[in-house]
Amino acid sequence: MGDKTEVWQGTLALMVLKTLENMGPQHGYGIARRIEQISGDQLSLNYGTLYPALLKLEQDGFIASSWGVSENNRRARFYRLTRAGRTQLRKETREWEQATSILARFLSPEEPA
Amino acid sequence: MRALRAAINRVAGAFNRRRRNFEMEQEFASHLQMQMEDNLRSGMTHEEARRAALIKAGGLSSARESYRAQGGLPFFETLLQDLRYGTRSLRKSPGFAIAAIGMLALGIGANSAMFSVVNAVLLRPLPYDHPNRLVQLWETEPAPGVFPFAGPDYLDWQAQNKTLQSSSLYAYAHFNLSRGSDSQVTRAISAQANFFSTLGVPVLRGRAFIPGEDQDGKNHVAILSYNLWQSFFGGRENVLNSQVELDGQKYTIVGILPRWFNFVPVGLYVPMDMGTKTMGHRGNHSFHAIGRLKSGVSAQACQADLMMIAKRLEQQYPDSNKKVEARVIPLREQVTGHIRKRLLVLLGAVGLVLLVACANLANLLLARSTGRQREIALRSVLGASRKRIIRQLLTESVLLSLTGAFVGLLGAYWCVRVIASTQSLPLPRQSPVQVDLNVLLFTVAAGLAVGILFGLAPAFRATQAKLADELKASSQAVLTPAGWSRVLRDCLVVVEIALSLSLLAGAGLLLKSFARMSEADIGIDPHNVLTFSIFLPQNGYPNEASQREFAQRFLARLQALPGVKSTALSGAIPLRGGSNGPITVEGDTNPAHNSVLVEQNYITPDYFQTYGIKILQGTSLTATDMEHDWKMGLQAEELVKEHPDIQKLPPDISFTAVISRAMADMFWPGQNSVGKTYIWGGTTVRIVGVVADVNENGIRERPSPQAYYPLTLSFNDRGFGSAVSIKAAGDSTALLRQYAKRCARWTAHWESSSR
Repeated sequence: MGDKTEVWQGTLALMVLKTLENMGPQHGYGIARRIEQISGDQLSLNYGTLYPALLKLEQDGFIASSWGVSENNRRARFYRLTRAGRTQLRKETREWEQATSILARFLSPEEPA
Repeated sequence: MRALRAAINRVAGAFNRRRRNFEMEQEFASHLQMQMEDNLRSGMTHEEARRAALIKAGGLSSARESYRAQGGLPFFETLLQDLRYGTRSLRKSPGFAIAAIGMLALGIGANSAMFSVVNAVLLRPLPYDHPNRLVQLWETEPAPGVFPFAGPDYLDWQAQNKTLQSSSLYAYAHFNLSRGSDSQVTRAISAQANFFSTLGVPVLRGRAFIPGEDQDGKNHVAILSYNLWQSFFGGRENVLNSQVELDGQKYTIVGILPRWFNFVPVGLYVPMDMGTKTMGHRGNHSFHAIGRLKSGVSAQACQADLMMIAKRLEQQYPDSNKKVEARVIPLREQVTGHIRKRLLVLLGAVGLVLLVACANLANLLLARSTGRQREIALRSVLGASRKRIIRQLLTESVLLSLTGAFVGLLGAYWCVRVIASTQSLPLPRQSPVQVDLNVLLFTVAAGLAVGILFGLAPAFRATQAKLADELKASSQAVLTPAGWSRVLRDCLVVVEIALSLSLLAGAGLLLKSFARMSEADIGIDPHNVLTFSIFLPQNGYPNEASQREFAQRFLARLQALPGVKSTALSGAIPLRGGSNGPITVEGDTNPAHNSVLVEQNYITPDYFQTYGIKILQGTSLTATDMEHDWKMGLQAEELVKEHPDIQKLPPDISFTAVISRAMADMFWPGQNSVGKTYIWGGTTVRIVGVVADVNENGIRERPSPQAYYPLTLSFNDRGFGSAVSIKAAGDSTALLRQYAKRCARWTAHWESSSR
């Protein structure tokens, strides 16, 4: 992910789902902050990346949204995980782990047979 | 499931744009605020906090753009936008729009109308069960063409064939249909009982004929066509199982046919009497037959099968069946064979019209895009990609062509209604000619194809100019196209003119041959000649004497009408065929003459005068000849009754005839044939005159030999029908109506007085 701002769409979706699972209902700013923090500020999410991804997850039925009030008494749209989203999260996590473990074995220095 | 839900959400989003945009702005704003607050908390000044938050947000307008793209259906939203823009720009140049839409409406409409006909006649399967197993059966003779069946031959074919699942004999008839005080003459088919099951047609109400109903005594049942049910019986349900009179005999109505059934346009169906008496003898070819092939059997196999039977019959009955063979024609071919080529030629012609219209459209679009060069340049400077502009231009041309197609469809709908209601068009009408789904799809496809194909070149051309050049041209309109655009336009004009010319030439030839046909000397003078048919009910006129009396009174009355120059009754009228048969001339050794069939017509004395047929030698038939043949006819009948097996009548019984020049030249070349005799159906015939040829069998064929006999020979105990011809003093089509009305009054009067 050479450029700091570029995030893989599929990966971002997984990160959003995971964030919502860990934190419960959260607004866009909160999700972005959390993802950036966990990445150790290696990722930066601008609106053009984050919101279309949230919209797509909502269209797919993995998250739902409603307007609410933030901890600082500010109107914000809160996103929460749906049941379908939970299933999807488990599925994607599994797939991702599988993919990374294969890739990890592939990239690790070859052990003498 | 998931894809479906996403799609539904997107479509919903497309219709919910405003609200969605509002919420997006709100969400973006609250995000920015929260970011700013965090920034402030970390010690930035207000200004710094705001700046940092905005930088973090990234390009807001591109974020909005991608959010919207994800939210709705950008393809359709752009389409709507282009359509709105296209409509606006077309409205600004109404001249161009009307010209283009009118042209396309003409081209597409003509094609849709023509396609409706082709669809009904050639494309749609015949509306029967397994229609490709249906065949028409014919007999052939040494003379060219196909011939109706001899009854006994048919019975042998039916019994001995191995390839037909079923076959059904039928014949055409006329009935005087009456119920209460209403009556009308109705065309009918009398058929073997399995007629409808062979065709595979269910009845709408009641039942079809049942086996065994085609026997004398059981056959007094009738099935109505839908049209007759509606027109004569007012579509009433209680018609079923009620009684009507056909030629004075009581028949029970047992069934009504579905509306679409139109095997031949007749009003009703009765079972044929399949007894040997009605079947007649092997030399008398007067029946038609259809067959249904066994599953998996081809028409050729059936033809070979029937051919073997015909050969057997030939050996068995050498007198009547010499060279009588079989012909099996698939019903579809029978129905459409004669018209297929003509329809396809017409479809090709209207196709050319559409091509001309398209070339025209392409040219107009090119000219227009030249005028719009600056607008297009400006749009691309403002960031529209070439693809985007081409798309915009294509949307416009498809908008044009679909509007044209719609207007054309309205025209086609009207045309099709006219075609459907014009019964005189020589179209087979097994399926109704109508604008159906096929036609609709055809029209829309034609519209889309035209819009895209002929809009592409102009769109490409319009978007390839150099921006800078266009803009530098500033206020001057760029009107002179250059390079391949010019070549393209020239090509289009050439193609257009070539197509138009070939169409013009074709239309010209058509008109010319039409003019030739209407001027062709067919041997008659049809000006101011009115003709119609009459049929006498069998019960009112059961025998020769009553028919003869009617004919005499009828002619006398007609003759006395104002404006009538001369009038005649006849069995057939010129150009409308008739019956025919062989003759023998004593001492004639030319073997070719054995297979010649001489056309026969039965006339009253003024027939030749009425039609302006020139008498070349001798005289016309006279009232004396009528009287003479009447008596001879009665004598001949007595003799045949006494000696049923008699082959040749004694020469003192003789008939009188006027013959055509073609017949005279064939049998008595170089001689005066007046006074000569020949044998016709066992009777001696004396020739009293020779008349000029009439091309009885149509304009394209050479005149056939023709003999005219006194009408008195055609009276019989099976009912009498005749053509009435009137030569009027002036051109007065209105007279026809008047005459026909009077005739109807007289006959009604005579009928009631004779009862």
